[in-house]
Amino acid sequence: MSRWAKQIQMQCKIPAIGIASSNIVHYATGYNFKYNNGMPIRYVAVPFPFTGQPRAVDVGYVSGKDMLTGQPLMTAVVNALTSPLTAEEKISGAPPEEAVEPKLLPPDSEKNLRRLFEDKGWTDYNWINLPTEKRVAEMLKGTSHKPDEVIKTINITGGLRQLTVEKVAISAVMAGASPEHFPLILALSTQAPFGNSTSSMANMVVINGPIRKRLDFNCGTNSLGPYNRSNAVVGRAFTLMSKTAGDLRNDVNAWESLGSNFQYNNLCFGENEESLPEGWDPLHVQMGFKPSDNVITVGTGWTSISSVGGSQNLYPTHFLMRDYMRALSASGSAATIVVDPTVAGLLKDAYGFTTKAQLSQWFSQNVEKTAASYWGNGVIQSTAIPFALQGLEPYAGWRKLPDDALIKPFTNSNAIRVVVTGGKIQTTWFVTDFRLGRGVKVDDWA
Amino acid sequence: MDRRKMLALLGISPALVAGSPTYARTAPKAAPEVSSANGEGPIVVMNPAIAGKQAARVPLVPPLDNLDGKRIYMINLSWEGPDAANYFYGAMTEWFDKHYSGVKTVVKVTAEGMFGSDPSILKDIIANKSDAVIVGVAG
Repeated sequence: MSRWAKQIQMQCKIPAIGIASSNIVHYATGYNFKYNNGMPIRYVAVPFPFTGQPRAVDVGYVSGKDMLTGQPLMTAVVNALTSPLTAEEKISGAPPEEAVEPKLLPPDSEKNLRRLFEDKGWTDYNWINLPTEKRVAEMLKGTSHKPDEVIKTINITGGLRQLTVEKVAISAVMAGASPEHFPLILALSTQAPFGNSTSSMANMVVINGPIRKRLDFNCGTNSLGPYNRSNAVVGRAFTLMSKTAGDLRNDVNAWESLGSNFQYNNLCFGENEESLPEGWDPLHVQMGFKPSDNVITVGTGWTSISSVGGSQNLYPTHFLMRDYMRALSASGSAATIVVDPTVAGLLKDAYGFTTKAQLSQWFSQNVEKTAASYWGNGVIQSTAIPFALQGLEPYAGWRKLPDDALIKPFTNSNAIRVVVTGGKIQTTWFVTDFRLGRGVKVDDWA
Repeated sequence: MDRRKMLALLGISPALVAGSPTYARTAPKAAPEVSSANGEGPIVVMNPAIAGKQAARVPLVPPLDNLDGKRIYMINLSWEGPDAANYFYGAMTEWFDKHYSGVKTVVKVTAEGMFGSDPSILKDIIANKSDAVIVGVAG
């Protein structure tokens, strides 16, 4: 919203003010103004929540109070449009230089440093290895890349922070990783930071290729549980680098209303490639990589729904998956189905899905939900309504349908991924709404 | 739902299955050194924080002297959909009609939503000589 108001003022040379709920205004006039926008946009604040309320509530806010000044809201609107500029609102030019972050922190006791790391929000509040120079230097031996190489500039909430190889090494040390993990963690860092959305999103990290064996990733029993060091430390490193590189701080620029427990480890697991049915390619091979490539793939999503028990003869497994997928938002047509190898075998041998792609296509063609349920999702409202307003199909047509009309929201079968992991203990599966991005080759970071 | 409890109810014990699958084993590497000092003496550690670059300051455009006869655009960003802001802007329009009868209001819904841009609206604002804009409503 600040971006819009700034753009209008700069291009149209007329005043532009914003109206938002007070929590949004807090971010807009705080962190966003300082690191991203630079224009002190004038805001008027309505109570929260605003969207999703009965019409009478939103209409009633107009005759209510401005949450910032306590004035009648419309008086505040008029004042924001007409009151003279303050000295602060006339400032232009480069801001004062931000204090440079020193390479080393001032010497202190271990106890005090641990407290500092927590006070700064640099940890996940579990025990960390303090990043001594010796430990970081050891970590850096895991790659040929120079410590000062900039991997990417993080600007999700502003700040243009340059994530370097050395900073990733610091996070890797803190997470408890070893130098052998480091190329993988560097590849992962290209996807940092993790999800940061009011919608409480999370991430999924999938490992493919021979590196799974070399680093003893757990792709079998409990591959998604806390039973393996590599799964634990690589997933955790993503959290720590995301928080530091993204400068993500609670109630400052991290505004996830509920948050997500997935963010402690980011659902980091390896695909059980050795147990794939014949014809079912590993995830990275589906993406065009060679089987011998080591690849890390990061997905973004929110939800995981368990089969809650094994497959039954009464009802085909893919039918139950289809039913559960109706509960997903279908944002971006994305889903990731995580299945035990026994489920993969069942889907192939009993139900005839000879490839993962065939199963994905079946879901795309058979998952239906009502138009009302589809449009009733907030993220869909934010992302798909614009397509409808632009007249793009099928969204424009879907918007005209009666509430109870059935639509097939998973329009792109390529965005429906199937990943096989687990220990062949039960015919269990998870239906998730994670959208897996393009895999990153780990060997490029060795 | 507490999935951990639910799974526990299914009776799957890790102890029963340890070692059977190809990759169920725990990584054999030694646990890392836990701390760099076992006493209270000072130690030096590296700084994980990355300095941020502040945005360049841009001044506000001068405000209006008054609202008499002014044309005000109300841009609906479709924050989680367009409906709520449309209701709100409708009530604001009624308020302006009642209290500032000389004010002309125009409501526009962005074609690309809150994450995109909409050059056609900016062109429209300029072409129709709008005097001010209200952007919203987020929340």
